[in-house]
Amino acid sequence: MSKPADLVQGTLDLLLLKILALQPLHGWAISLRLRSLSSDVLQVSEGSLYPALHKLEQEGWILAEWKQTENNRRAKFYALTRLGRRQLEAEAANWQRLSAAISYLVQLSEA
Amino acid sequence: MDEELRFHLEHKIEEGIAEGLSPSEARRQALAAMGGLEQRKEEIRDARRVHWLTDFVDDVRYATRSLRRTPWLSAFIVVTIAVGIGMTATPLSMLDALIFRPYPVPHPGRVVTLVSTTRDEAYGDFSHAEYLDLRDHTKSYDGVVASSTLLPVGFVARPGETPTVRGGQLVSGNYFRVLGVDPQIGRAFRDDEDQAPGRDAVVVLAPDFWRRDLGADPAAVGRTIRLNGADFTVIGVAPESFPGMYIFSRPDFYVPLAMAKTFSTNPEKSFFADRDDRELAVRARLKPGVSMLEARNELTTLARNLAREYPKSNRDRGAAVHTQFEMRTRGNDLNWKFGVIFTILALAVLLVACTNVAGLLLSRARSRTREIAVRLAVGAGRSRLIRMLLTESLVLAILGGLAGVAVAYAGIHFMASLSIPAELPVKIPFRLDTRVLLATVALSLLSALACGLAPALQSTRTNLVSGLKSSEASDVERGPRRLRGRSALVVAQIAMSLMLLTAAFLMYRGFHNTLLDRMTIGQDARDHILMTRFDPRLVQYDAEQTRRFYRLLGERARQIPGVHSAAFTQDPPLALDDPGVVAFVPDGFVMPREREAFTSLMDSIDEGYFETLGIPILRGRGILATDTADSPRVAVVNEHFARHYWPNGDAVGKRLRLDGANGTPVEIVGVAQTMKYRDTFDRGIDFVYMPFSQHPAARMVLLLRTDGDPLQLLPPVRGVVHGLDANMPMLETRTYADLYRYATVEGPGMAIKLVGTLGIVGLLLAIAGLYGLVAYNVSRRTREIGIRIAIGAKPADVIRLVMGKGLALVAAGTAIGLALGFGLERLMNAMLFNAGGTDVMVYLMLVPAMVLVTMLAAYLPARKATRIPPTLALRCE
Repeated sequence: MSKPADLVQGTLDLLLLKILALQPLHGWAISLRLRSLSSDVLQVSEGSLYPALHKLEQEGWILAEWKQTENNRRAKFYALTRLGRRQLEAEAANWQRLSAAISYLVQLSEA
Repeated sequence: MDEELRFHLEHKIEEGIAEGLSPSEARRQALAAMGGLEQRKEEIRDARRVHWLTDFVDDVRYATRSLRRTPWLSAFIVVTIAVGIGMTATPLSMLDALIFRPYPVPHPGRVVTLVSTTRDEAYGDFSHAEYLDLRDHTKSYDGVVASSTLLPVGFVARPGETPTVRGGQLVSGNYFRVLGVDPQIGRAFRDDEDQAPGRDAVVVLAPDFWRRDLGADPAAVGRTIRLNGADFTVIGVAPESFPGMYIFSRPDFYVPLAMAKTFSTNPEKSFFADRDDRELAVRARLKPGVSMLEARNELTTLARNLAREYPKSNRDRGAAVHTQFEMRTRGNDLNWKFGVIFTILALAVLLVACTNVAGLLLSRARSRTREIAVRLAVGAGRSRLIRMLLTESLVLAILGGLAGVAVAYAGIHFMASLSIPAELPVKIPFRLDTRVLLATVALSLLSALACGLAPALQSTRTNLVSGLKSSEASDVERGPRRLRGRSALVVAQIAMSLMLLTAAFLMYRGFHNTLLDRMTIGQDARDHILMTRFDPRLVQYDAEQTRRFYRLLGERARQIPGVHSAAFTQDPPLALDDPGVVAFVPDGFVMPREREAFTSLMDSIDEGYFETLGIPILRGRGILATDTADSPRVAVVNEHFARHYWPNGDAVGKRLRLDGANGTPVEIVGVAQTMKYRDTFDRGIDFVYMPFSQHPAARMVLLLRTDGDPLQLLPPVRGVVHGLDANMPMLETRTYADLYRYATVEGPGMAIKLVGTLGIVGLLLAIAGLYGLVAYNVSRRTREIGIRIAIGAKPADVIRLVMGKGLALVAAGTAIGLALGFGLERLMNAMLFNAGGTDVMVYLMLVPAMVLVTMLAAYLPARKATRIPPTLALRCE
């Protein structure tokens, strides 16, 4: 499986959960949203996106549903479940802790 | 998943176009970015961790594709499996009905059968008094029930109508309670309803009867119906799930034992008083925790007590307990034995079919050596490949199994088409129920494994280097080993089909031989006899009325124009009912200590009997009109009887005493030729004829012999009977030829057809197998043969080279088949024909035919081999 070189290891799940926490979206929209919200810094390839979505769905964190898009085409929309919200909170807290520690370490002045 | 990814792709393309790319360029870039849809899908599936399932689905898809590439071969394999499985399911349904299907009651395994045993009879019935003893003096059971056989009963739907015959069964009051059968409407009998003779005229209807004759009217409960002229109150209807305890027939209704007088079967005996009027089958439900051994011991002790207490009726009489299985597989029953033989033969056909399919798959695998080698080379695991190949044979087997069910339906339909000339309707209960279908499915899976495993194992053991080099692997280095497997298959096929054909021929000849000994009624007689059965009890005649009716009927029937002679008998030879039994002591014989009397089959006849049926009287005289109720009692015995008891003297003039040493004396006045009485397998048994006037019976058959078509006598006979009593039903009216045809042609004919079909199918499969093997051999050695021809081999040399192997296989298969055939002949003689010896004719006819046909199968591809142009051989490299 090709790894997303442009993403920090293990953060894809967190990002997806977070984006879906804002509103239910289909796969294409998720990739667009990720790009725009991160001002083109974060990108995810289809090869990572869809397997990740399916994994999240299997875990029961998100729910997939076929719906009409705004321009009247059928697409699979993903929405966060209650379980997913809890997972998001846990992962977000984890990320906060981790990133704070890393930032702190990185900012240490080389005396 | 597809749709979702396509959706994504389209967006990506649109984005590309929006950025100013041409549509095709946008598409190309989008696809490239997504790295191929299939691969994405694989990744998604991997994320789901369901390899095995998707692999299986892939395998099935792949299998169907690869099977479709060789449609004829695949179709042939499917048909082969279908025939094999269908032919096995048919006898399985038979075995299921005859042996394995449990009683239609809750906890059927605890229901056992109690039988009365004597030196001559291992499965006897009990008398009413004995049943009461069994019921009251045993502790092993939760209840002991008794039931009579199915009795023909005159049923009148509306007053004034002629009675129609229905089957009724006398049962004990606790019958339904102990068996655990709850009526669908109304109630079952109370235990006390079988106590006072004649008091409780109540009846429980069977569901079929209720639907057919009473229109499933729920208000039927409480109504009265007329049975044998007496009114019975309907108290309930048995549930649909309970068709009765018989295999082949279904009672129409049940009445309490206490009403036996209305249905009395043996007018000479008193049902309630006589301890030797044994007409009841006794079953019991074992208490939980009680073993068969305990029950047996208890019953043996009880039987010993009875023998001591009632020496007159119970001396030398024991009793035994049998499970349902033991009862159904008892020694004196032909049906299940035929079922077993048929199943063995059918399994042999399935085996031939499987070996054939295995052979075909082997040659198929060979032509795929390269494909397999490539797969192995690019890293497919061996177990994964075996799984893939097995999936192919599984797909074949499932298709074959489905088609096999259709074949089985046809087979069962064929068996059910047999019409049996019985008075009460006979149900052929063979059907594809869940158990049989499950067995069929199991057989399909098993055959998939059997057919597919060997080829799969072998083809994945490919040598990669040589496999990749040529499109068809040269199996020079490991040919002999592979061929040995296929050769063994062909030998097995030839052996099996020879055995099957032997069986079919043996049956055919066996059944025919049973007719050659001139112990059946001659053609001239049987083609010109009309028979019709009467039972005056159905219209409540007493003994005197019955006598008068038969006397007048005989007189008037003889006056019908065209009637040569007329006769009365209880049952003509080869009828389906069991003949009566008489106990006797030949005068002057000292009986062995442990037995009181001998027994013999018997018939009550009148003076026209021997003439009408054309049975020769060898010595003395037949029955005469002057043998009346008031004249000295006489009997005619058959030749077998006469030789049996007076091997050195003349039986004529000797006397018998009926029932015991002090019984009524009867003088033997004549000796008649020995006939077959019960079925064509009879090999000479004792038989006694007594004049109907001195030994009256209620149910009698009138035989009328004419010169022309016996059915032309039907209208005048109807007129005569109507003139005597308009209400008297004529039961079971048919020509004697009908009965004879069933006993000698249709019943056995069906058996011969079934086994013959198996044999022919087996032979066809074996021929295909042998042809396939030799053809395969030729194609394998194309190059070698070409070179041989190039350097001067003649066609004859080539044929010898190619056929030599085939010949050896045929010889080996024939030898093994002969051995199997001999074994089977002994089995069939022991089980069916009561015969010994070997039927040499069968083998003299079969073996050369078999060798010829199989040789032809080998010759055709061999001849093709002689036409191989040498240039082809050189081009092979």
